[in-house]
Order: sequence, then C-alpha cells, then structure tokens
Amino acid sequence: MTLRALEVENLKKVYPNFTLDSVSFAVEEGKIAGLIGRNGAGKSTTLKSIMRLISSEGTVKVFGKDFSEDEGAVKELIGYVGGGFRFYPNKTLSAVAKAVARFYPHWDERVFQCYCKDFALVLSKKVRELSDGMKIKFSLALALSHGAKLLLLDEPTSGLDPLSREDFCDTLLTLKKQGVTVLFSTHITSDLMRVADQILYLSDGAILLDEPLETLAKRYRLQLFATLSEAGAAGAIGVKEGKDGFAGLITEPSEGREATLDEIMIHLEWERGRQNESAH
Amino acid sequence: MKALIKKEFSLCLHPTAFVFLAFAALVFVPNYPYEVIFFFSGLSVFFIVMTARENGDVAFTCTLPVKKSTVPLARILVAAVFQCALLALTAICIVIKEATFPEAMRVNLAGNSANLAFCGFGALLLGAFNLTFFPLHYREPKKVGVPFVISSAVQFLLIAILVAVRHLQFYTPIALPDPTYFGIKLAVLLGGLGLYCAMTVLAGFLSMKRFERVDV
Repeated sequence: MTLRALEVENLKKVYPNFTLDSVSFAVEEGKIAGLIGRNGAGKSTTLKSIMRLISSEGTVKVFGKDFSEDEGAVKELIGYVGGGFRFYPNKTLSAVAKAVARFYPHWDERVFQCYCKDFALVLSKKVRELSDGMKIKFSLALALSHGAKLLLLDEPTSGLDPLSREDFCDTLLTLKKQGVTVLFSTHITSDLMRVADQILYLSDGAILLDEPLETLAKRYRLQLFATLSEAGAAGAIGVKEGKDGFAGLITEPSEGREATLDEIMIHLEWERGRQNESAH
Repeated sequence: MKALIKKEFSLCLHPTAFVFLAFAALVFVPNYPYEVIFFFSGLSVFFIVMTARENGDVAFTCTLPVKKSTVPLARILVAAVFQCALLALTAICIVIKEATFPEAMRVNLAGNSANLAFCGFGALLLGAFNLTFFPLHYREPKKVGVPFVISSAVQFLLIAILVAVRHLQFYTPIALPDPTYFGIKLAVLLGGLGLYCAMTVLAGFLSMKRFERVDV
C-alpha cells in the first residue's frame, strides 16, 4: 500500500473577500503534485495553511503525523520554498545557511555545497546582491539540504530562466527517484507537463480537479467549431471565441487535439464563470 | 530553542543592544534621573524587533522546524538576557560608585539615588516594558511603533511616579545611598526582581498565545 506523504482535510481559511473552502486532497509518497489555478485562487493560502503560517481550520498530516500535534518534527520532514528568498538582505548566504543548518539534525553540508555549486551561488555574497532567480535558487538549496521528505514549493520557477527551470525540473525528477514527494504551485504549466504525476486545480478557494496528469490530459480534448451552436450541440465546455472560430473542451473522443493544462484551466474557468453568471 | 536563540543572535540582533548596555554607567552622572537607563533598554528591544521585521524574520522563522508559539519566546528570552545584563552592569557600576564617590556626591537630588533599591525599581520598569510591549507586538507582528509608544508611556509614567515620591517623607530611606536602611532596600530589590520575573513570564505566555492566531 502506498503511503500518503501529505493528507489535507477540510482546510478552511476565511478572509473578508476570499474563502479557502474545505480544501481536501492527498499526495502519495514519491509523487510530484502540481497546484494550479488563476491568481487569487488560493494556491499560496493553501500552502501557507499547510505550513501553519496562517491560522486556519482543518487537519494536515505529513507521513501520518498530525501537524498540530508535532509541529517541530513534521516541519523537519518538509522543505518549504515560498517564492524567492526575501529575508535578511544584508546578511551573507553563508551566515543564513549556518543559522538554518542548526535547526536540522539531518542537515548535509556536502549536499548544500553541491547545490550552491550547481546553482552558481557565491556564499560570501549578501542576499540583497542576488537576482530574483538566484534568490529562488538559494531557497531551493536550503530546502533541499536537510533531507526533506516532502517539498512544498510556492511558485519556485517563476523567476527562473528556461535553462534553470529545466535544471530545476531535472532536480525534482532526481529527488522523486529518491522517494521525495513534491507539491508545488506554478503558473508555468509546461513544467508540470514535464514532471507532475498529479494535478490539483484550485478555483475560487475550492478544489475543482484532483486527478493524475495522465487521466486529465486524456480526458480533455480541444476542438474548434465554426459556430457557437455547433459547439453547444457537441457539448463543448467553456466555449470561447477565437480568431479561427469557437474553441471548447470536449470530453468525448473527437477530432480535436489533446488539450494542454493551460487550455484546460482557461476553458474550465470560462465555463465556471459562465455558470456563475447564469446562476445570478 | 537553542537554535532559535542562536539565530536571534546571528541574524536579528541590532548593535544598539550592546551599545545601550554601556548606559549603565549613567549612574556615575551626579543628580540625574537614573531610571531612564531602563528606557534605553526598551529602545534596544525596539531596534531588534524593528530589524527583525524589516528582515522578514518572523515569516522565515515560522517555516523552520519549531513550534510557531516558540518564536516569540525566543525573542523575549534574548531581550531578558540583555535586560539581566543591564541590571548586573548597573549593580556593578553602583558598587564602584559607592566605593569611590564621597557620600555627598552619591545623593541624587534629581530622583532616586543609585542604590540597591534602584536596581529593584529598574527590574520593575523592565518587567512593565515586557508586559506591555511583547503581547501588543505579537498580536500583530507587523506593528512595532505603536506597542513601543504604549510601553514607553507606561515606563515614563512609572518613572515619573518614582521620581515624584522621592520627595515624600516616608520614601526617604529608599532614596538615600547605601548602606543605610539596607534591609528595606534589599526587600525592594527582591520585590522588583520577583515582579520582573512574573511580568516577563506573563508577557511570554500572552505573546505565545496571541502569536498562534497570527497570519505571517
């Protein structure tokens, strides 16, 4: 039986203008899960709630351990990257790494030095001297050097150049082979197409889809229609007018091509918006 | 907790924390309201907390493998280390002053003389600062100025009371230089230290409880 690396149940956070609404999902050990959704859908809120950076309702279990019961021990299993490293701008990377290393009994200085070399990080530099991309790399180096079994990454590739993103994806695949589980949010769905096993799609604070990438990719096809009524008759989802006619998602076998994650997201959001409009 | 405290020293400390310790030597200044020494201690805590805020320290620390509630505790412990160091340095300066200054120069016309009881009052002022500043700050860690203004106002109110009562007849034994009325002064010192401990523990408890609910 496959162990669940991360179990999230009924995660709820209420803000005046936004509610993370009873989000529940699980990620199996050794899998890479991608968290997608439009800006403000609740991706960062979900990750922060998992880390208890924000107070929210619900339970989080990491490798069966309840987060709230053994917070310190659970956090030891997690490598968290919340975007770029925007902390301690006037400290050197080595000073920050030294302070961080003390918290982790399994900190591996050799591994950290390797990542620094791979990422071209100069430890004598100050944090403020790093570019946005290098800050993300530094965060990753810290998160990957203490033997984390679960990585929670909030848009880790957003500031990286294509080559670094490729390296990052390679690193994730290597870590996956070592049994590390990854949950990462991103807007760059091509990265997910390369590495993800599972897709969690958040929309307006709720999980809209939670499926293996393979299943999702097979289910939706993108088809073009000459007219809107033709699209309606075919049962197309989220029909949008484009320069070549009307495009929509089809779940039945059709002439259309396999939809990309971007297209699935766009058309499902469009459909959701249309349904909300007609409900009002 | 050890790693958290080491992190406080290596990443969050502001140089003024050490500079203001030297203000213990103000007890050598004749006719001066020595109580302000303990206001400067609060100012150094303000700078530490301000530096931490500008560095995004709270959010970063919460991602480390520690219980969220222990994050304020580490900072309060570091502040307590500096406060105890200030009290100890003040006591040392007082002993030196008593051993080297003539008695006439040790009488403080501007307030309490630097004596054993004064250290007790100092402890009380530091405890009052902790009890007001930390719980207010950790209710909303982005705010540093308002908690500092409120805690400083409380400190200055207490300082004003201590300076004013110095001129009352019943208070005279406490305001005189050592070693006269040693027993009374010792009782004031112990009382002050006891109150400092109680108020700091309560500040830690309240801060931890409030910080649990904070979104960082």
